[in-house]
Amino acid sequence: MTYDFVEPVVFALLSIGLIAGGVAVVMLSRITAAALLMAFTFLSMAGMFVLLGAETIALFQVLIYVGAITVLILYGVMFTKFSDRPRALFFQRQTPFAAVFVAAVAIPVAIIALSFTSPTPRPGGGDLIPLATSVFTDFAFPFEIASVLLLAAMIGAIVLTKRDEPEEAAARRRR
Amino acid sequence: MTVPLGAYVVVSAALFFIGCAGVLVRRNAVVILMCVELMLNAANLALVAFSRKYGSIDERGSVFVIFVFVIAAAEVAVGLAIVLSAYRNRPVVDVDEIHQMKG
Repeated sequence: MTYDFVEPVVFALLSIGLIAGGVAVVMLSRITAAALLMAFTFLSMAGMFVLLGAETIALFQVLIYVGAITVLILYGVMFTKFSDRPRALFFQRQTPFAAVFVAAVAIPVAIIALSFTSPTPRPGGGDLIPLATSVFTDFAFPFEIASVLLLAAMIGAIVLTKRDEPEEAAARRRR
Repeated sequence: MTVPLGAYVVVSAALFFIGCAGVLVRRNAVVILMCVELMLNAANLALVAFSRKYGSIDERGSVFVIFVFVIAAAEVAVGLAIVLSAYRNRPVVDVDEIHQMKG
């Protein structure tokens, strides 16, 4: 007995998880539930990467997306106050135009995507060594630029969310 | 029996357009950020799929995924900071309502 059927079955389950999670993020009115379902979508995507044989990317996916970005978004949800609203109010006014636009772009992309045929599959195996070799040889300069970008983003986020000093002093005086 | 490349591309395109629709139709700024993350993740799936199925031995496509991770982390940090500072001025998070900078 062979286990060839396992890969398509896992792929189908992960695809259902991805699409259902994505649709739920767009359609749900409760923001906290949407954020947690986004984390579920990211986890399914990590499973997809494992299925493709890219274990290192899956590891980074879990660390950065499921760990960091979801926590950051949840903090954003907690710092801003929402009330659940009827469906007509949490969608924007341009919804029909958006539907037309997305359909107009999605249909050609779907036709192109469905026309891809798979080449001969490559043997699997770890992707850490080729990935690290590429990052630290050919892509060393973009890697350093990315670190500068992260530093700039970190300082920018701190500056943007920092309270103004005079405002704080005025608030203290009022008290 | 392996999963063909086209199937991965179809899933990636579907998730991308779900995220795109979310960015276009939702009002809440935090949900718009989440949908942008969905779109970036869908693009990552396409990059990894092409890299694993077509690519040469050195995994060039997956390197771009690493950079997308970095950009996504920076983007969501700065985006949430902007949302929070706008929220502090006026407690609304609907992008329709935020129009202080409108001329």
